[in-house]
Amino acid sequence: MNKFAKWGLTLPATIAVTLLLVVPVLITIATTFGEPKGVFSTYTAFFNSGFRTNILYRTLRIALITTAISLVIGFLTAYVIAQMPGRLKSIAIIAAVFPLLTGVVVRSFAWLIILGKNGILNSSLLSLGIISEPLSMLYTEGSVIVAMVYLFVPLMILTLTGVLEGIPRDVVEASASLGARPIATFFQVILPLAVPGLIVGAVLVFTGSFTSYATPQLLGGEQMMMMGTLLYQRAMVTFDWVGASTIAAIMVVITIAVVSIMSRIARRLNPMAV
Amino acid sequence: MTVSLTIENLSAHYGQTQVLKDLSISVAAGELVSLLGSSGCGKTTTLRIVAGFLAPTSGHVKLGDRDLTTLPAHARDIGLVFQNYALFPHLTVMENVAFGLKQRGISSSDRAKRATAMLERVGLAPLADRLPAALSGGQKQRVALARALVIEPPLLMFDEPLSNLDAKLRVDMRVEIRQLQKANGTTSLYVTHDQEEAFSISDRVAIMNAGRIMQLDTPEVLYQKPANAFVARFVGFENLIPMKTVARDGVIVTAEAAGGARLHLSQDAFGPIKDDFVLATRPDGLVTRGTGEGIPATLGTRTYLGRAYQYKCETAAGEITANGALSEMFEPGATAVLVPLPEQCCILDPEN
Amino acid sequence: MTARIHPLLGAFAILVFLFLLAPLVIIVGASLSDTTYLTFPPQGLTLRWFANIFEISAFRNTAITSFQVAILGTGLSLLIGIPAAYALNRYRVGLPKWLGTLFILPILVPEIVFGFSLLKTITIGLGLPVYPSLIIGHALLVLPYSVRVVGASLASFDFSVEEAAISLGCPPLKTFFTVVLPNIRAGVIAAFILAFITSINDVSISVFLTGPGISTLPIQILAHMEQFFDPTIASVSVLLMLVTVGVMAIVEMTLGLTFLTK
Repeated sequence: MNKFAKWGLTLPATIAVTLLLVVPVLITIATTFGEPKGVFSTYTAFFNSGFRTNILYRTLRIALITTAISLVIGFLTAYVIAQMPGRLKSIAIIAAVFPLLTGVVVRSFAWLIILGKNGILNSSLLSLGIISEPLSMLYTEGSVIVAMVYLFVPLMILTLTGVLEGIPRDVVEASASLGARPIATFFQVILPLAVPGLIVGAVLVFTGSFTSYATPQLLGGEQMMMMGTLLYQRAMVTFDWVGASTIAAIMVVITIAVVSIMSRIARRLNPMAV
Repeated sequence: MTVSLTIENLSAHYGQTQVLKDLSISVAAGELVSLLGSSGCGKTTTLRIVAGFLAPTSGHVKLGDRDLTTLPAHARDIGLVFQNYALFPHLTVMENVAFGLKQRGISSSDRAKRATAMLERVGLAPLADRLPAALSGGQKQRVALARALVIEPPLLMFDEPLSNLDAKLRVDMRVEIRQLQKANGTTSLYVTHDQEEAFSISDRVAIMNAGRIMQLDTPEVLYQKPANAFVARFVGFENLIPMKTVARDGVIVTAEAAGGARLHLSQDAFGPIKDDFVLATRPDGLVTRGTGEGIPATLGTRTYLGRAYQYKCETAAGEITANGALSEMFEPGATAVLVPLPEQCCILDPEN
Repeated sequence: MTARIHPLLGAFAILVFLFLLAPLVIIVGASLSDTTYLTFPPQGLTLRWFANIFEISAFRNTAITSFQVAILGTGLSLLIGIPAAYALNRYRVGLPKWLGTLFILPILVPEIVFGFSLLKTITIGLGLPVYPSLIIGHALLVLPYSVRVVGASLASFDFSVEEAAISLGCPPLKTFFTVVLPNIRAGVIAAFILAFITSINDVSISVFLTGPGISTLPIQILAHMEQFFDPTIASVSVLLMLVTVGVMAIVEMTLGLTFLTK
């Protein structure tokens, strides 16, 4: 009975994920090795194309910068939220959750209004006399990064608020009772204890921004393509399915490598588990 | 360096609720005083105010002649031992113990020397390189103790330090804590809800209730001569029988309980007896007898305690718990007389 | 943990919240502007851009598709996710560890790769129509929420209660519905909401799985934006935000929002 139940109950989900996700993705990856020019020919082609490698490096660069900025903003904000009294804390969390639950398209679109040629930022700077003609801020790495940071900071805040609230109050008090000034407590106790959580947050943001599609599509355009937009363009505009599959394979490998390496490091750094 | 701790007229509020009401205690240099009470009595609040984690509404905390009241926690120089140990999970045993020394700017070689010496004193030197997660509860508490002691604080405070340990370890640890505290002569404040623990470890114990100190005395006095009904109940005087003096003859007072039962009490044994008073006894201070001077009772449920039988008794003065000799067993429903043993009774003012 | 906050840090946090909320305020403002281009602060106030949404049939149709796909996809994911979550928690020891990882693969595999692979192998390769493909894609995309969020509340469920019910003569399936399910209600609601919102906002999968006459609202917004840059987009965005507000109100009423940091 138990044996039947425990396998039987997981079976539908197992079959669904295997047949509809694992197999299709594996097939996609497998097709990249079936080219007549050689097993790795599509990869050699990818890495020999300056255009495409540029996009890969840009994507990695944008993802890294986004992650770093989100980490700093998210951690400091989460630290403040964790100290707030109950009611204020709920309000702060609602304020952080709301953008998170608003769609990527909507949130990226907001930055089109802000950063556009006739956007709010340009018109304010013009009316303040700081600039004499509108700046082109859209379709730059900067605009993509700003929108991505905007996209991922709430996620980081939520993750890290949970982590910081998990640090026992008495450990922080013990530090103070032993004579540590608040700044020393922060760097010697709170920060080290938050490291595993910081890694989790960083992985979420890195993989999210590395594989994003809508934001670079809206704010990067043709000029600032990223891996996601490149994949879409190869698949749906030029119908180069092998090329698209190659990009897909590279994205999968990098994502899974980052996730597995970082989660291993996080586990090793977690002092609660031995 | 031993100094006294003085807590003067401390009041504290959580929102609208007053949790400490004009509380004053002084702990002499080198003395260990316990705050004993059930949860919510204000004992932990008092400790947290002294530690600097809470601000009092009014009142002062002084260590020697240094006023701590407005000092931040990290500048108070108090060794604290927490209920949940509060070890730094990311630091080794050695680093945990050396943490406070590091904050004091002590060189790393000195830190290592002093931390090692302290770990040897608590018998944990072999575990110096372990992380807290790899230690047992008792070992963790020893590290916490070493960490608090190594900074040689003028005041040590303990917040229910043994409540997460099993019974046997609890007894061993409290002996160890007492030995270390005495050897260092450190003034100490110890918070607990465990009466046995408080009585066994302390020079004096403050029994607290609803933000006030009900009685502050040595364990012996508290146990034998509670000052009021609250403390009496707390230390096990289950039977509180209201009495009225009906006649006085020299030192002998004749008093009557509800229902008319009369007792003769000597003021030599009890001190001056007022007209209205309460006779307080533990169950073993009232003996069930077939006849004699005492309170007539109908006996109810009998339980076997090993050294005696215990009976739930119905009397005109209410329900009373009394013990009876093994040689004289009564069946439920039998009538008997409950005879008080003067050396195990005390006389209190009536409750209002 | 509790400590005092440095005023500079507090000021920084306030700036962060401004950064988080200002763009949304700007969208609301822009949606009300009586101009044919997007601007903020709004010049003149009008609701005509909201009316305009309902006149554009593409918005109407894709909104309906989006809701259908979100409800069906989320429903399917709960249907296969709850039994899996139950088994994972109930028979923790007997099941291999990789099974738990398998169910969160839809989060690990880049969404855009998943969408492309689904299009390539299932929709084109097997000839499955677009609409069911879309539902399958969304159901899998949100499966991790069903398994993990429901699993989290099962993890704190005391299974001896279930055994007690069975020992009292309640059949296992009935026990699940009358004893287990009511106790993990919060987890199921939370999973449903997170999954629903994820699905309704999804771009990366839907962008591959749209066909003649079938598209989702976010994809339609993207398409509309390529041709027009008028306040209609802002007003659609506001409507989507209102859906979020509604959902958050439900969360607040049923579970309290702080559960989201757990």
